[in-house]
Amino acid sequence: MKDATAAAMIRLRGVTKSYSRGGETLTVLDRLDLDMERGGFYALMGPSGSGKTTLLNVIGGLDRCDEGSVEIEGEDIARMNGPELAAWRAEKVGFVFQGFNLIPVLTAQENVELPLLLTKLSRRERHEHALLALELVGLADRRKHRPSQLSGGQEQRVAIARALVSDPSLVLADEPTGDLDRKSADDVLALLQRLNREFQKTILMVTHDIEAAQRARAIVHMDKGGTLGRIERVDAESSRS
Amino acid sequence: MIPFTLVTKNLAKHKLRFVLTVLSLAVAIFLLCVLRSLVVALNAGVADAAANRVIVQSRVSLFVQLPQSYGPKLAQVDGVECFARWNWFGGYYQDPSNFFAQFATDPKELFDVYPEIYLVEGSKADFLANRKACVVGAETAAKYGVRVGDTFPIIGALYPTADGSAWDFQVAGIYRSKKKSVDENTLFFHYEFLEKSLESGFASGPSGVGIFVLKVAPGFQPVEVMSEVDAMFENGPQVVQATSESEFQAQFVSMVGNVPLLVSSIGGGVMIAILLAVLNTMLMSAREQTRDIGVLKALGFTDGSVFGVLILQSFVLCGLGGLLGIVLAKMSEPAVVKGIGSMFPGYQVTNPTLLEAVGATAAIGFLAGIAPALRARALSVIDALRAVR
Repeated sequence: MKDATAAAMIRLRGVTKSYSRGGETLTVLDRLDLDMERGGFYALMGPSGSGKTTLLNVIGGLDRCDEGSVEIEGEDIARMNGPELAAWRAEKVGFVFQGFNLIPVLTAQENVELPLLLTKLSRRERHEHALLALELVGLADRRKHRPSQLSGGQEQRVAIARALVSDPSLVLADEPTGDLDRKSADDVLALLQRLNREFQKTILMVTHDIEAAQRARAIVHMDKGGTLGRIERVDAESSRS
Repeated sequence: MIPFTLVTKNLAKHKLRFVLTVLSLAVAIFLLCVLRSLVVALNAGVADAAANRVIVQSRVSLFVQLPQSYGPKLAQVDGVECFARWNWFGGYYQDPSNFFAQFATDPKELFDVYPEIYLVEGSKADFLANRKACVVGAETAAKYGVRVGDTFPIIGALYPTADGSAWDFQVAGIYRSKKKSVDENTLFFHYEFLEKSLESGFASGPSGVGIFVLKVAPGFQPVEVMSEVDAMFENGPQVVQATSESEFQAQFVSMVGNVPLLVSSIGGGVMIAILLAVLNTMLMSAREQTRDIGVLKALGFTDGSVFGVLILQSFVLCGLGGLLGIVLAKMSEPAVVKGIGSMFPGYQVTNPTLLEAVGATAAIGFLAGIAPALRARALSVIDALRAVR
């Protein structure tokens, strides 16, 4: 099944991933073909065990597929070695996790600055970029707070600032609102929409929440057994709410 | 690229654990420095022994005295330039706890046989002229506040006086030594004073000679002198043993047991114990950081970077403890000298000892950090991110 093949930023072909558990082989992704266009905002939905997070991890270079090709902006990351993949992640991908995954001993600003340590920016430039990212998510005044001094919604916004500070073309979010109350979840989703619309970031978001999924431009449904279901366009009106 | 701020902040996360580990390391490295310095002090005499001195003692034991009549015979041996008699006096100043070494010796020959001894106060002429005179090592003089011209009363444990009073020695000079073959804690006085005191009944005690120290003339082999001396007294009345000064010093050190081995074993045990303690700390710390390691890897930090974060934490932790231990060992030097300096003359925390301490610190840092660092390096991003914080 394909979507927008011509302008595909993400192009998966025959992607297969299996795990061995207790002597049994469990196929999580089964010969998956998928194209996603640049500048898209995709919600990935499906029942537990349908391979949503595994697919996200494979696209983000956190996990490797057993077979198939994973082309992102024309580069097949399935063929990259460890250091190449790490460098690629640093440059191209921003991650937002369900549990926020901020480093507890660092302040909000230091957390946001972390990805910039892998660039050639000077200390001062790193500082300025991180502050800018925090301003974008509305948390510049909380820059010296540690994660334990922030609310869940604020932590996730700091995580989003960290994901976008190095200006990646792709943002991958794994249940970004899963641990948040409705109000905080709305704020985070609004922020992701803004990143997509104003900054043309391609966003792929795994979610169980249909309301969250409606904020994307397209919903990719996955079926049990790691196969692709239907792809549903979300009309502009409902995604704006 | 290693995020250094993460190294320091993770260490400081559990302040009590951090402080306790640093203090444990400091104590261990301090102990290592002190124990090593004790061994160095014990062996200093061996290392600095003169090649041209031969010690003649009873073959039975160092505590069995030799007859006075051996002196003139030893002077006749080919290659013997001169000799000095030495007799252990075994006294103390005021209280038995104020113990230090005193020897009755031949005053002129003392300086001939031991050219490394020189006076920093007083005069050699005054020492030679007065039978009751003595020269005192600078360390002992400083410890008891003794000055040239003072009377230095020493109670003779081995040579008690008839009325139980002290021997009053006149301090004619304060000496220092250019080499560690002679320590700066000893008091030397006239052999003749001891002899006459025993003859007059002023004091009682053994009247022989503890050891003869021979100076071998240039051009003669000490080994040949030793063989000749051994052969000369083969049939008694006292069979002797002639040894080089280094052998004698080594034998003297071994009389109190194999101290270097004992001390090294204690030091080694302390090091192993502290290594296990730091390893435990590092493993706990690394386990707590598992999820952070996953985050770093997800952000694009390489396996080598996360390895660096963990191993650096270990080095910084050990470095601080080691540095503190080294500073303590160096600062405590005067106190140790004051306390047990007379038992370990020449005690000093030397640069080689400090280098050994630095080496031990680095080794502990490496060994304690390598296992958690390798584990962090090998962790997959997915597994690390699944870890419970």
